[in-house]
Formats: sequence, C-alpha cells, structure tokens
Amino acid sequence: MPLISRKCVPFTPFEGDLSRATVALVTSAGVHRKDQEPFNIADDLGDLTFRIIEPDVSASELMVTHHHYDHSDADRDINVVFPIDPLRELVQEGVVGGLAREHIGFMGYSMRLKQMYEETAPRIAEEIDRRSRADVVVLTGG
Amino acid sequence: MRGIPTVLITVSPEASRQMRPPRALYPKGFKIGHSLGRPFQRELQKRVLRDALALLLEPPRPGEIIERTYPEYEMNPS
Repeated sequence: MPLISRKCVPFTPFEGDLSRATVALVTSAGVHRKDQEPFNIADDLGDLTFRIIEPDVSASELMVTHHHYDHSDADRDINVVFPIDPLRELVQEGVVGGLAREHIGFMGYSMRLKQMYEETAPRIAEEIDRRSRADVVVLTGG
Repeated sequence: MRGIPTVLITVSPEASRQMRPPRALYPKGFKIGHSLGRPFQRELQKRVLRDALALLLEPPRPGEIIERTYPEYEMNPS
C-alpha cells in the first residue's frame, strides 16, 4: 500500500448555509486576465506564480496560457475550466451566496513540484484566507 | 490561519486520488480541458459546478473521488 494512503486527509468541514456562502475559484489551468503577465511557458521548469482574478471579470477578459493540455475549447469558452459565468448564475438562483473577493489562477505544470507545494500553495491559501475571504473554494485543473 | 473548505473537480481521477483530496468530483469521461463540460454547454457546466458544491453538504468522505455521469457531455460534441 502506498505510504500516502496512510496519511490523514486535511479536511475542513463546511458549516453553515451554502446559499449564504461566498465561493472562490482556484484553477491550475493557466487562466489569467488578458492584461496580466502570461505564465512563463518557455521555462521548462514551470511557473510558480499565480494571478488574482477579480470577481466582476467578464469571461472575454480571460485567457489561458498553458502548454500541457489542449485548451482550444477553454479559448472559446473559459467556463469549461474556470466556471465564472455558471457560478454567477448559481448566485442569481440563490444556490450560493456570492462570489468571493478574489479568484486565483496558476499554471499547474511544474518540474518544481516541491516548491509549488511548499511555496505557491501556501501563498494561494493565504491569499484566499486573508484577501479573498472565501467561505468555500472550488478547485479545477484543466 | 483558519481552514478553508474546498472541493475539487477533477478529470484526472487517478492522479487526484493519489493526493487524497478532502472532496472531489469526477465527471465521468470528461477529458482534460473540459472540467465543466464542453464550450457553451452552460446548463451542464452549472450542473457539474452545483454537484461539486453539493459535496460540501454531504457526509465527509475524505480521499474519495465521487464519480458522476452526465449524458449531455456526449450528446453534443463540438
């Protein structure tokens, strides 16, 4: 049995009412605003940075920079990897309370997984905790 | 720092399973680049997102990847 299966799963219970909860999207799919610096896909080691995406962004302002999956459909409709419009509709329908103050995009392909795990991930968590103030995070890959 | 409840939508369930996420939804058969569905399949995208969020309300099954089937994904490939 692999050692990792013996480890505890970090788990935070969700308490309260989803219809009052704010939701942040965090994606490793390489999503960022068109006016932000693209992720560095020329570097084989990957890119350890992340981008903050405001909740009122429109889908047409977003793009993908990633070289390890076919994002041609995300290029047509970003919602296939970063469901900002479906999330807004769920807010309008009262399923969730609202959008958090920030969403986050990063580029999940990396040869520096240890650094991504030890540096990027805690920084994203801190951003979500301190500034996004999300009650809940939905994570997506590509 | 407080804990943050999360749910993952994965289209790589075997890779995700190795990391033992607290909550995870695998829309069966969705390929990489289509975590929520195909372009402009808005109702399907909402359903997948809603099902992922619903895992926050269910009894905890940490480490398990919950698989769901969405026939609409195959009904209109584009």
